[in-house]
Amino acid sequence: MRHAIFFFIFFSARLGLSAADEANPDFNRDVRPILSQYCFKCHGMDDKSRKANLRLDTREGALSIAKSGEKAVVPGHPETSALVRRLFSEDSDEKMPPPSTKVRFPKSAATVLENWVRAGAPYAPHWAFTPPIKAPVPSLKNPERARNVVDQFVFARLEHEGLQPSLEAEKPTLLRRLYLDLTGLPPTPKDLDAFMSDASPAAYETVVDTLLASPRYGERWARRWLDLARYADTNGYEKDRQRTIWPYRDWVVNALNSDMPFDQFSIRQLAGDLLPNATDVDRIATGFHRNTMLNEEGGIDPLEFRYHAVADRIGTTGTVWLGLTVACAQCHTHKYDPILHTDYYRMMAFFNNADEPDFTIPSAETTQKRTEIQRKIEALQARLPERFELQKDAKDDAKDDAKDDAKNGASTHEPAQQKRQQLIEELFHAWEKAEAQKAVRWETARPQSWQTNMAKLDLLPDGSLLASGDVTKSDTYTLRFKQSAEPITGLRLEVLPDDSLPAEGPGRAYYEGPKGDFFLSEIKFKSGAVALKVAKVTDTYSKGGIGGSSKIGAAFTIDGEPATGWATNGAQGKPNVAVYQFESPVSLENGLQVDMLFERHYACPLGRFRISFTKDTKPLEARWNSPALEEALAKPPLERSASETALVRNSFFETTPETANARKEIETLRASLPRFQPTMVLQERPPDNPRQTHLHNRGEFTQPKEKVEPGVPSFLPPLPAGSKSDRLAFARWLFSPEHPLTSRVAVNREWQAFFGRGLVRTLEDFGYQGDTPIHQELLDWLAVEFRSNGWSVKKLHRLLVTSATYRQSAAVTPALAERDPQNLRLARGARFRLDAEMIRDSALQAAGLLSLKMGGPGVYPSQNPLITKEGTYGAFEWKPSSGEDRYRRTLYTFIKRTAPFAMTGTFDAPTGESCVARRDPSNSPLQALTLLNDVIFQEAAQALGKKCEAYQGDDLARIGFLFRTVLTREPTQEETTLLANFLNQQRATLAEKTPFAAAQSASWTALSRAVLNLDEAITKN
Amino acid sequence: MTPLQKALQTGRRQFFADCGVGVGKIALASLLTNACSPNLSAADTEERGLRPKASHYPGKAKAVIQLFMAGAPSQLELFDPKPELAKLEGKPLPPSVIGGQRYAFIRSDAAVLGPQFAFGKHGQSGMELSEMLPHTSSIVDDIALVRSCKTDQFNHAPAQIFMNTGFSQPGRPSIGSWATYGLGTEARDLPSFVVMSTGSGISGGAACWSSGFMPSLYTGTRFRNQGDPILNVTSPEGIDHVQQRETLNLIRTLNQHRLQIEGDPEIATRIANYEMAFRLQSSAPELMDLKSESSETLALYGCEAEKASFARACLLARRMVERGVRFITIYHEGWDAHSNVSGNVKNNCKQTDQASAALVKDLKQRGMLDSTLVVWGGEFGRTPMVETNPLLGRALGRDHHPQAFSMWLAGGGIKGGQTYGATDEMGFHVVENEVHVHDLQATLLHCLGLDHERLTYRYAGRDFRLTDVHGKVVKALLS
Repeated sequence: MRHAIFFFIFFSARLGLSAADEANPDFNRDVRPILSQYCFKCHGMDDKSRKANLRLDTREGALSIAKSGEKAVVPGHPETSALVRRLFSEDSDEKMPPPSTKVRFPKSAATVLENWVRAGAPYAPHWAFTPPIKAPVPSLKNPERARNVVDQFVFARLEHEGLQPSLEAEKPTLLRRLYLDLTGLPPTPKDLDAFMSDASPAAYETVVDTLLASPRYGERWARRWLDLARYADTNGYEKDRQRTIWPYRDWVVNALNSDMPFDQFSIRQLAGDLLPNATDVDRIATGFHRNTMLNEEGGIDPLEFRYHAVADRIGTTGTVWLGLTVACAQCHTHKYDPILHTDYYRMMAFFNNADEPDFTIPSAETTQKRTEIQRKIEALQARLPERFELQKDAKDDAKDDAKDDAKNGASTHEPAQQKRQQLIEELFHAWEKAEAQKAVRWETARPQSWQTNMAKLDLLPDGSLLASGDVTKSDTYTLRFKQSAEPITGLRLEVLPDDSLPAEGPGRAYYEGPKGDFFLSEIKFKSGAVALKVAKVTDTYSKGGIGGSSKIGAAFTIDGEPATGWATNGAQGKPNVAVYQFESPVSLENGLQVDMLFERHYACPLGRFRISFTKDTKPLEARWNSPALEEALAKPPLERSASETALVRNSFFETTPETANARKEIETLRASLPRFQPTMVLQERPPDNPRQTHLHNRGEFTQPKEKVEPGVPSFLPPLPAGSKSDRLAFARWLFSPEHPLTSRVAVNREWQAFFGRGLVRTLEDFGYQGDTPIHQELLDWLAVEFRSNGWSVKKLHRLLVTSATYRQSAAVTPALAERDPQNLRLARGARFRLDAEMIRDSALQAAGLLSLKMGGPGVYPSQNPLITKEGTYGAFEWKPSSGEDRYRRTLYTFIKRTAPFAMTGTFDAPTGESCVARRDPSNSPLQALTLLNDVIFQEAAQALGKKCEAYQGDDLARIGFLFRTVLTREPTQEETTLLANFLNQQRATLAEKTPFAAAQSASWTALSRAVLNLDEAITKN
Repeated sequence: MTPLQKALQTGRRQFFADCGVGVGKIALASLLTNACSPNLSAADTEERGLRPKASHYPGKAKAVIQLFMAGAPSQLELFDPKPELAKLEGKPLPPSVIGGQRYAFIRSDAAVLGPQFAFGKHGQSGMELSEMLPHTSSIVDDIALVRSCKTDQFNHAPAQIFMNTGFSQPGRPSIGSWATYGLGTEARDLPSFVVMSTGSGISGGAACWSSGFMPSLYTGTRFRNQGDPILNVTSPEGIDHVQQRETLNLIRTLNQHRLQIEGDPEIATRIANYEMAFRLQSSAPELMDLKSESSETLALYGCEAEKASFARACLLARRMVERGVRFITIYHEGWDAHSNVSGNVKNNCKQTDQASAALVKDLKQRGMLDSTLVVWGGEFGRTPMVETNPLLGRALGRDHHPQAFSMWLAGGGIKGGQTYGATDEMGFHVVENEVHVHDLQATLLHCLGLDHERLTYRYAGRDFRLTDVHGKVVKALLS
């Protein structure tokens, strides 16, 4: 029953638009939707699930002999076509679709197919897969109402069907519509007055241009784009920790405000890192595809969730630019559209070759500040000897000498100064001697070869190894060092920071554990077949990430227990050292093999490290000294170079207790060094370490099959000959002139924003299962125009809002309600509820609370703190922002995926967990409770009440002001009476409980609250 | 015909067509139910998408109470006795048993840990349960114990989301949303899909009760333990019931004026929703007020009227079902026994055993059990192998185990007193009557009278199902 009705409506809606010739059904409009909906699952593209060796998605397939020996379709002869017979059959063995599918196939659909076969069973290419062309602009019998080409298309249809466009909406309504559409905020009473008093014929266009140039424009349109980008400020899944990617959000706002052409806007987001001479800003734009979630739950397989993230990128790219449900082909060949299972993974191959680092955004300002501070530090360091504080007895000695000098009639205190210098020198030499005794001569050991389970190691000029590529929960590095004649006594492992590592390293942990940490579980040394015994292990610093600290330290890397080991959490961005002293000097006649194991419930291998050997026979200790200092100290003083001598001296002044006070200032300065702002980006992998993409059976991560190379589906234009097969090539391909989808999908989405529904209703699906356009010629004209106007979104918006179609009144007349309840013919304006963000922003603006501060980290408007706490795994303290940050535009509200901001969620804002092409606005009691009782709207009502009270005039004037502020119009006589009565009723009630002045204010608050709750206040019409 | 009625009729026609042209925004069934008799009261009391709708076939269950034991309880300590494990204790399992299974924390060669508790036979059915479940043991003849559950996921968040939405990533509708979408609501003054929680935080987060790509109308409504049970259900300070009503009267009158001018049925729905909101403001506190419950009832559940607890949530769930709520999930998160599995089980059983059993008894004695389906279980099971990790301070725990775990079902269409399915001697694999998560979901929907293959929602060119392309109803579990 359900399907029958579905079908009936499906067709009546379509047929309603143009008188269909029942005997000659149109393939695109009438036939393919039936075949797609009911037949393609078993008789379509997917040869794996194809039944009876019959495919109906091609004419050739439909006309050939199926497994049964019959032809499904004999053109012109429904009576001999097995397809027609089986559709009408009552025999359950014969009937199609088979009863087991539980699909109810309507007889009326069978009739369409019968007529189609009788008419010769013609096929036609899918409308959306052939490039759009501009049809001639229709001329109108009554052209006076038309303002631009949009109207010529729309009104021609109306004329053809004997309908009239609606009258232009009244000026205040129009102004409100325009403000909300272009800036997401309603006009203020002042804006209204200005517009009403502007009698010039271009008054409307003037406002349009002002609004297009307003910074508010970018904020309003960014929010729509961020729905597609699945933007959020946390990682998602269980832990749902905070992330920093707001620079990407701000990039979107700026790009839209500057009317960056849509092709550039897209290419930068998809592949900004690959652009020739990519700028920092281009790299920030690649945050688009870093908005995928990151699972930080303990024990996950990081490669599995990386795979899910890449899959999300493919699905999202399909939705946003292709308007295709590409994601359906992850598990099998698409059931409806011509997208093969391999096509999916070929597209994945474009996106699979990127690393996912944090990009530290260079900033001249920060650099300058850092340089200034650095200079101050250096100056202070140079003054350390002057500020040397001698211990009490040494000081007394110096003083005594000074006294003696004075007694002896010496006129200067130079001798005292000399004495002080001498004492300092003595201390220095004592220190130097002690240090030199402990210092060990280390020699950097460069491995001859190495091997890992996953990572790529590169040997850097300084002898250190830098890891890149993928990580697992159990990573191994094996390093082999060549033979050496002299035996070694110990080995030093330096763990080193590097800019390329998370939090600058030294480790590669990026989820669950502390960023930039590592965990060396076990290390083994072997020469030939002989395992080398270690007598002593020391380290300069050790601290664990997650878990108790009792068994953390380099000493636990040789205990045979992988669960214990060495980590240096808290020292991210700094080097540390572990030293292994062998039981006895080790001959390396058979070379040396070092096996390292990094194993925890999260991935935590080392990112950068260096190994050195020593032949020294003294006791070996891990020491804080930098290798250069250690080397200098190990040399006899006379063999040291000038810079080594200076290094040793400086090191003394920087460590000795006598300068501790003087150094405090240096430490404070160091702590005050401003940091560069990071943001999440995509970065193509180096050519020597590409990531291979495989087809995955049933889409399962654990079932990789054959390798695939990057490529695009064959029903779409090919990549340009000779072009590279990388993300940038893919991004540019989307904008190739012959591409049938990109521009159509884009203009359709913009159309929907203004008119409430797309010309193709299914914004996300232009495939066989998508809706046919209600006005294809208009859609195609706009698509071609968009491309030829240089992909300017502002020009497109201007074209739409200056059309007479847009400016129509939204009122539903009984005649129109009867004739076209869905407004498919666009004979009236659109009326629909505001988006969540606009509802809050409008209330704040009406109340005079809205802050227009732009950009920066997410902010925390007031809400019940339990929302992010109770029952939330990563319980999150929602500390309301102070000052104007409480009242910023909702675009800037911090978005926590697993416990989203309650107000926006209640009004259908997405959580950022997946790409949303189209919000489905709902209408619920919880929305009523929010507007009535939520703290946001309480505060707005109070502030607005105060504004009304302060407004010059009597109650009636104030009521008018209230209406103009919230609804952008004057109240009717009847409305004024109702509001005034309510006001007086409130005053009377409240006067019994509260003093007069308070009762006055509370009454205005109550009235403001009521008006903010009106359907009209949260609706665009 | 008044303008309002006219608008409603127009609206209904419009939605008919909306469903037709593509993505059905509203279940068609609801429109069919009410299309012939448009009247003001229908719109005044219920939202369009939530009207009671005919099921695919008569279902025994009218409501579901899902006791979601988040964190994953140890089936080996509660439901699935494995004496063989005691013998194998301290030895690793043969690699052939483990296959390629990946683990969250342990290595696959970890040693076996024997069962920590004794099991005994109970009831007429002689069902074997752990000594940790004395209360559940008293209702064995009403429950169907499934020892052969299996899932695809071995991490909490994906597994919880999978159990609720049939998909391991967020973004799809949860089972409560599907039930509401399929059947509408009987509750006039309460939401149709309610979520409560006790214990620690829920790994899967709001995705577990999200309506995914369906309108947010079908999202589960949180009832909270502190403050307002439903967000914003209390009027702002200083606004009493009378003033709230006066305000709503003004809003209604002005909205009605607007409706006459615009003719937009959305306005009629908004008017109805403000009335529903106003009723919620009294029905929610009434629901939460346990004064009308006898001391015997409170004692049966073992709860205090004012104190948030799993037991109180169970009692509230019964009260919700009485008031027509369709689907209630109570999360009790805390079963993630990576360490000290015996202590974990003891502690959690103390909080949940009595109340879970009391809920079944209470529903039964009130004659509601036949029409209320109770489901008890977590997102996966726990390993036969021990988890030990000195660094994390863990000893004698068990890791996540997706291959085999246990759940129980009672009431609404379920045949009690049976133990279904079995695992091997080590409790590692299912060896008899596997019940995959999708099968469980298909069975739950079946009990509600919904055919999981016909309950579809068109989104992005596809008719989505809770069970994707999988799932079969486990007939043997049905009464």
